[in-house]
Amino acid sequence: MASLRELQHSFAAALRDPAASCAVRPAARLELYRLNASANFRGALALTFPVLLRRVGADYFTQLAHFYRERFPSRSGDLHWAGRDFPDFLAAHLAGGDYAWLADLARLEWARQASAVEAVTAPVGAEVLAAFAPEQLDRLQFTLQPSLRLVDSPFPVFTVWLANQGENAPPADQSVGPECGMTLARPDGVEVARLAPDLFSYLSALAGGATLGDAVTRAALDGPRLTQVLAHSFGEQLVTDVVAAPAC
Amino acid sequence: MSRLDPRGVPLGPVPARAGIGLRSVHHDAIATRPPVGWLEAHSENYFHDGGTAVRALERARANYPLSLHGVGLALGSADGIDREHLARIKRAIQRFEPALVSEHACWGHAGGEHFNDLLPLPFTDEAVEWLAAQVREAQDFLGRQLLIENVSAYVAFEHSHLTEWEFLGAVVERAGCGLLLDVNNVYVSARNLGLDARAFIDGVPAAEVGEIHLAGHAVHDGVLIDDHGSRVCDDVWDLYSYAISRLGPRPTLIEWDTDVPTLDTLVAEAARADRVLREVRGLAA
Repeated sequence: MASLRELQHSFAAALRDPAASCAVRPAARLELYRLNASANFRGALALTFPVLLRRVGADYFTQLAHFYRERFPSRSGDLHWAGRDFPDFLAAHLAGGDYAWLADLARLEWARQASAVEAVTAPVGAEVLAAFAPEQLDRLQFTLQPSLRLVDSPFPVFTVWLANQGENAPPADQSVGPECGMTLARPDGVEVARLAPDLFSYLSALAGGATLGDAVTRAALDGPRLTQVLAHSFGEQLVTDVVAAPAC
Repeated sequence: MSRLDPRGVPLGPVPARAGIGLRSVHHDAIATRPPVGWLEAHSENYFHDGGTAVRALERARANYPLSLHGVGLALGSADGIDREHLARIKRAIQRFEPALVSEHACWGHAGGEHFNDLLPLPFTDEAVEWLAAQVREAQDFLGRQLLIENVSAYVAFEHSHLTEWEFLGAVVERAGCGLLLDVNNVYVSARNLGLDARAFIDGVPAAEVGEIHLAGHAVHDGVLIDDHGSRVCDDVWDLYSYAISRLGPRPTLIEWDTDVPTLDTLVAEAARADRVLREVRGLAA
């Protein structure tokens, strides 16, 4: 008699391929399980990528979900993670076409999903800087909110995302050009916001573990602009800790 | 009034009353404290450190006893337990301190692919031993007894030589777990596979039933689909009354996961289950 493992693997094969045999009755009803698995997967993607769904329509979204699932089947019992590879899949699937920008829209929506389930940590204010000597400032390392995700694109994906928060959004205007921004958990939901390119570079550097001095260099901030950027970082409650790296 | 710990969290068991599933569309409305005995939440929705769902459950938890109900562990999978998933359940248990923790008597993954569905097991001695061993392993890791739920089925394995109730009874006995009896699933499987629903109820180990589920189903081309998208049908209410008359009052959940209605509708369905529970108590008095 077939083992439990063999029975399950033959059932799984029949879910992937209707022509595969499986010792169940009535075998025709395996189609219900195929449809369930497909619908559950597609439903999870629809929850994670609502603006992408709105832009491409339900039918094309279902097609994309189908092709994506063939290439990247679910690897977890928790469908929260089903969309993790969807942006990369779309980038490959849509490369070179008029819809290539949808991959970056999906990247933004995945970032938003990632932000949505992170904790909101107590922020520190700019007054913490007073605890450090002037010669330490270049060596400061900032811990940012765990939910902060930074996204940049050659396409105006933030404009598209923000314009599509209701029904009947206007067509995406690609002439706006490149954009960068962040997604961040707030106590009442997730904030999605464009950022100035130098602020984005600065935050990206800090998020990657760079010191304040290195972040300022990479973002090409002059003195007055650094003052603004620091005020923004603390004022928007992005910073949760500041320490001084040891001197070399 | 429930007994409260110093943080205001209701302690003690889930009462033998009707409860409802906490769904995201009701996160705000549940703060009005509708008159239901307890709440059930899907474990997988609370696997994360933050988010509106986690905060909503923390608020709701202060007012109701809680059951955590997993839909993704698929303990009957022959490829073994997803340890990361199990660890996340443990963290959710530590965080929310549920009075009941449940999973399904099903499988869900093979060869690394998860189907994210509650797939039916063959009712064989090997499957009894395997599922019981997996349940024991999960219980040992979680430090908690699990309730294992019967799933609805559209097909049956030709290899099955036990009835489903014999299968469940043997798993419960070997694993030391409890049973979550989904009366709608009994009805759906019985209709789809030509079983006797009342014989199913009669056949489960009554003393081990720690919770009951009720839900709606759909009918497509003569097949009953367990979609949790409508009111409990009259036949399932009748089967529920029969089950309660055999088992005695048990915590009873109204499950409604698709086309989720207003909170008032859920509360009304729960009130109907409470009436059945009161009638049985009245008969016993």
